[in-house]
Amino acid sequence: MASQILPLELIDRCIGSRIWVIMKGDREFTGTLLGFDDFVNMVLEDVTEFETTPQGRKKTQLNQTLLNGNNICMLIPGSNGPDS
Amino acid sequence: MDESTPPPPPAELSPPPVPSTVPSGSPTDFLKGVVGKRVVVRLTSGVDYRGVLSCLDGYMNIALEQTEEHVNGVVTNRYGDAFIRGNNVLYISAAEAI
Repeated sequence: MASQILPLELIDRCIGSRIWVIMKGDREFTGTLLGFDDFVNMVLEDVTEFETTPQGRKKTQLNQTLLNGNNICMLIPGSNGPDS
Repeated sequence: MDESTPPPPPAELSPPPVPSTVPSGSPTDFLKGVVGKRVVVRLTSGVDYRGVLSCLDGYMNIALEQTEEHVNGVVTNRYGDAFIRGNNVLYISAAEAI
């Protein structure tokens, strides 16, 4: 079991690369991962926020952002999000 | 009993502290970098608060100055000082380059 890798180690390996963050609700984020902590609060750069509403999908561009880990559901490393 | 065992060497192995001008990218460093700058705080409800970040803590409780409340991109209120309880915060985003 020497090759066992912990979940947070996997996220650590994503630092510096693009990541797709899917939240609990109808919200997703993509950005370059700069760092994170034990709560999986994440610092992202060149962020796009995707908000799925009944009217369609709303995009918001953001600079460096600290995303609260409380509502994060899933992380997809190396992806540029729903448009890719 | 074994007095031949030397005491452990002093702990001088930790790396020197990173200068504050070179943030490592962790949430703590990000927050250190944005205090005093203009930020956008979005709550889980989708409401935005734009203002100058005066201080915050580990719960993401936030004190903002010159605060504007934005709902669907429209300014709905202005506050001189505002306190935001951290459990409502979705993200804190730098409104200007750090």
